[in-house]
Amino acid sequence: MGDIFNILLLQNTLRTATPVVLAALGCLMTQHVNITNIGIDGMMLIGAFFAVVGSYYTGSWVGGLAAALLIGILLGLFYYLFVIRFHSDEFIIGVALNIFAGGLTIFLLRTMFGVTGSFSDPAIVPLPTIRIPLIEQIPVLGPLISGNTLLVYVSWILVPVCWAFVYKTPAGFHLRAAGEYPDALTACGKNPERMKCLASVLCGVLSTVAGAHLSLGYLTMFSQNMSAARGYVAFACVIFGRGNPPRVFLAALLFGFIDALGLRMQKYIPSDITSMAPYVVTVIMMVAVVLMERKKKKARA
Amino acid sequence: MKGMVQSLRALLRLKPAQKLTRDYLVSLLLAVALALLVGAGVMKLTGHDPLQSYAALISGALGKPRAVGNTLAKTITLCLTGLAMSLAARAGMFNVGGEGQLFLGAMAAAVVGARAQGPAWLVVTLSLLAAMAAGGLYALLPGWLKVRWKVDEVITTIMLNSVAIYFCSYLANGPLKTAERGIAAGTDSIMREAAFTPLIRLSNLTTGAFYAAAVALLVWYIMSRSSVGFEMKLTGENDTFARYGGISTGRLMLWSMVFSGAICGMVGMLEVFGLHKRFITTVSNEFYFDGMLVAMIMRYNPFGVIVMSFFFAILSIGGKSMELSAGVPSELILIVQSIIIFFMAAESGIRTAVGNWISVRRARLRAKKEAA
Amino acid sequence: MNTNEIVRFEHVSKQYPGTLANDDVSLSILRGEVFALVGENGAGKSTLMNLLYGMQKPTLGDLFIKGQKTGANHSPENAMRMGVSMVHQHFKLVPGFTVAQNILLGHEPQKGIFYDEKAAIRRVRELSEEYGLRVEPTDTVRDLSVGLQQRVEILKALRTGADVLILDEPTAVLTPQETEELFVVIRRIVDEKNMTVILITHKLPEVMRISDRVGVMRRGKLVKVLSTAQTSEREIASLMVGRDVIFDDLRTSQRAGRPMLEIFNLKSLNDRSLPALNGVTISVRAGEIVGVCGVEGNGQTELAECIAGMRPAQSGSVTLCGQDVTGKPPRRIRAQGLSYIPEDRMSMGMDARASVADNLLLGRQHSRAFSVLGLHLKKSAISRHAKTLAQDYDIRTSGVDEPAGSLSGGNMQKVVIAREFEFDTPVLLVCQPTRGVDIGATEFIHEQIIRKRNEGCAILLISADLDELFRLSDRLITLYDGRITGEFAAGSIDKQSIGYFMTGGYQEVNAQ
Repeated sequence: MGDIFNILLLQNTLRTATPVVLAALGCLMTQHVNITNIGIDGMMLIGAFFAVVGSYYTGSWVGGLAAALLIGILLGLFYYLFVIRFHSDEFIIGVALNIFAGGLTIFLLRTMFGVTGSFSDPAIVPLPTIRIPLIEQIPVLGPLISGNTLLVYVSWILVPVCWAFVYKTPAGFHLRAAGEYPDALTACGKNPERMKCLASVLCGVLSTVAGAHLSLGYLTMFSQNMSAARGYVAFACVIFGRGNPPRVFLAALLFGFIDALGLRMQKYIPSDITSMAPYVVTVIMMVAVVLMERKKKKARA
Repeated sequence: MKGMVQSLRALLRLKPAQKLTRDYLVSLLLAVALALLVGAGVMKLTGHDPLQSYAALISGALGKPRAVGNTLAKTITLCLTGLAMSLAARAGMFNVGGEGQLFLGAMAAAVVGARAQGPAWLVVTLSLLAAMAAGGLYALLPGWLKVRWKVDEVITTIMLNSVAIYFCSYLANGPLKTAERGIAAGTDSIMREAAFTPLIRLSNLTTGAFYAAAVALLVWYIMSRSSVGFEMKLTGENDTFARYGGISTGRLMLWSMVFSGAICGMVGMLEVFGLHKRFITTVSNEFYFDGMLVAMIMRYNPFGVIVMSFFFAILSIGGKSMELSAGVPSELILIVQSIIIFFMAAESGIRTAVGNWISVRRARLRAKKEAA
Repeated sequence: MNTNEIVRFEHVSKQYPGTLANDDVSLSILRGEVFALVGENGAGKSTLMNLLYGMQKPTLGDLFIKGQKTGANHSPENAMRMGVSMVHQHFKLVPGFTVAQNILLGHEPQKGIFYDEKAAIRRVRELSEEYGLRVEPTDTVRDLSVGLQQRVEILKALRTGADVLILDEPTAVLTPQETEELFVVIRRIVDEKNMTVILITHKLPEVMRISDRVGVMRRGKLVKVLSTAQTSEREIASLMVGRDVIFDDLRTSQRAGRPMLEIFNLKSLNDRSLPALNGVTISVRAGEIVGVCGVEGNGQTELAECIAGMRPAQSGSVTLCGQDVTGKPPRRIRAQGLSYIPEDRMSMGMDARASVADNLLLGRQHSRAFSVLGLHLKKSAISRHAKTLAQDYDIRTSGVDEPAGSLSGGNMQKVVIAREFEFDTPVLLVCQPTRGVDIGATEFIHEQIIRKRNEGCAILLISADLDELFRLSDRLITLYDGRITGEFAAGSIDKQSIGYFMTGGYQEVNAQ
């Protein structure tokens, strides 16, 4: 089994976990304002596509990332407009967004690049890989910490940043108050809708950046439905981590690990079976969360 | 993290709420027109002639008997999945897992259809029962978790979709893979005599339509005319009240979920027996999600679901021939459909916003007049 | 103009669709007084205060705070800036936040971009000392008692240095001790800080005890402003209702039959998993009404829900018509012979979105009268039944197909009562039957309850309204902290004395 449990496994874990981490950080923002956003998957997909578009036309990864950011802001505003301003059912909007994303990206793929299925081109510039000089030489840890693409490091930085934002700044308080008890915020002259807008935009941006990592991180290509329900996994991580960034991060790592393990077990187990793992785990985790909640409630009594 | 729990509860707010009012239907027409207009705009931008493309769409969906047959077959799929969603939603359960239930139903039907011995009618019946049992049982799990432990069924059913699809893919690629050549990933073909025969030559509309019609009628009857439907409605709208009034809400929710799953399983069976004659991994392409959205924008009204399914079927069947004859990628239809859904989901909000805007403008005009 | 005046309403009217909530109200409120605003439900007192606090805008008339006209863009923020704060009946607190975070919400002290917790705690301590309202800044609000939550809410209102504090029904949820503490605080801020407190209430003893002046409202009009020292509860009450309130005693003596509902040593938890019932034993016989009195939140809700099977009992038993029904689902308990009018009609008593007819049908959907083989609903029979009941029970509706949620409070309650009373069960569990119901409907509902009793029903009546309990009950039971503290035959105790038992005084065993 040495060919399974080695350093590559951990590298793959990081690789598969990163887009989930980024999307989950976005998702937890909307979760804190009490919006259940299941449209993350569609947002990721659109982000992945536009990152490729940006990178292809500008000839630079900066352009790709910028395109993803921009489309993320637009998606966040769109989501805010429909879910908050128009009081739409967040669930319908989420599902419709996912379908819309699937249709839009394939449609654009065909009209812009004239291809179906997937698009890769040497002109697409991937995100840069960052090597950290000294750490690189540390055995085991070195290749793990160094030599990842940009967004891996961004995601590592964002975890504490998001945590500090949500739990340590007044803006974070207002965000959570807007979700937990908006009347309290209204009563002190603040507008909860504004916080919900902020959360939506943050969610949009983080999701599309997660998408950019999918298409420009390791692969440098866009293929249809490449988000592959990772948005739902991100959502599950948020539920499991109870919206607390470090915990959500750990949950995402766990998923990444299982995913990577599955990939590497393909020699022994059919890939279809290993692909099921994250989803089965999510269901088990959902049950675990509820049972833990009950236990805690009992303990309090 | 109370907020988190609350937000999960927020999902439960999505209950069959309003009726289909005339205003709502007017909005629906407006949304459809707007979405088609956006579609036309996109065509114009990408260098296609909108009128010609839409004409191709219509004739592709309704132009020939065969096309009508395909459109009706698609209507049936959308309609049954939509009714499956409605049935569960009426009792307050959100079955987003229909896709997985459909796959398992298709798999079960294919296996029974290939292995069972006996007269054709028996094989069909056994396959149908197997498909419904597979779909129903698969819906039982999230339903039970919801009723017993209050585990949010929306997320679990979404997750179980992927599980079922991968599982069926595993079976079709592995233990149940057919020995026939030329089939990439599929099971053995079903008993030939048991397969449904086309009602319109060369079309996908088969004798399976009768089964579908019977089930649709049954669902409509249960939901709108029976005491069980009454109990489901009250449970969906206010489960505390329903329980207080002596309804066994848990059991009702569970059963509505199981039946919803069974209908999805049946859709899978219809696909196998009508179209593919075996299980293949592309037996459904998110059919359930389309039907689900149709159900949601028609507010779970069974009759509305049927009408809207027909319209969506025209779009998707016509979309393919629009692609062939006018060169417009058929995915445009997905965009048009999702725009309709966006606007219908936001219907009341947009209506209020527009109303406010108009009244503000009027007030301003009046103020100006008075000032002048 | 009085130089001491701080708030003035000048011919203020507020029109809501269909109702004139405030009708030409002119009123001056002075600095350094406790002004009580009393009136029945729907008399317009909350609306008037919402106008002052900027939550709503008057249709006609002007409002002045400290001599300044409030103008068209009056808002809560504006009100706060002008020195008016309000403590709502439903607290505006974030349950998951600490006391300090709640009090300073929107005005958090910052260190750089971060929340400065130390400064916040310090600030709250200062505030708490200044007004003599003790709170622990680091406690989480969710874990606090209602009284303490209210204190946090008051501190939040006072944070901006308000001169006028509006308290909307502040004692509705408080225990007597907490009420007492609140009054001490009110007196202190009025006497020491020369603030003005406006108290919205309908509890007259409290008005007499704490206020300097009373304004009485009835049907949107300010009927009269009185000086508390020169009036009496009786005078205020008759002004509120518009006539002398002496409810006739509706009871006629009748011999009670055999016990139909027996509750033995019942224990149960509340929604927060804290003990709510600590061993309650009650027996109700056929043809008698047993009234349960107590300050709200002493286990009444849990008692009713346990009996009806809506809440699990921890131990003890409920026996209905000789059958043990403990732990049975509501369906079985109903079949055994219980009808139940719940205290919260909106969430438990009805489906606001379903039609009146559907609401009246629940429980009979399988009966032969309304369905074929218990399955196929007979729509016309259902509709006919609903129309008959609407007539019999005086339910005013434009049609039985309209959603029940569109009815007025009194008519909704009549829907619930009509449905439950028509079951003709031997036992009735009636909770808060006239809460939020106007006087005419109250009269009607009371008559219906008495009618049921005279027909031989065993009725357990749980109410927060002492008048109602005294008017209807054959026997009274006092509930305090989930325990029974006393039991009295009708006429053997008066309202003043029963208050002692409702607040924790204990009756000697068998003293009756």
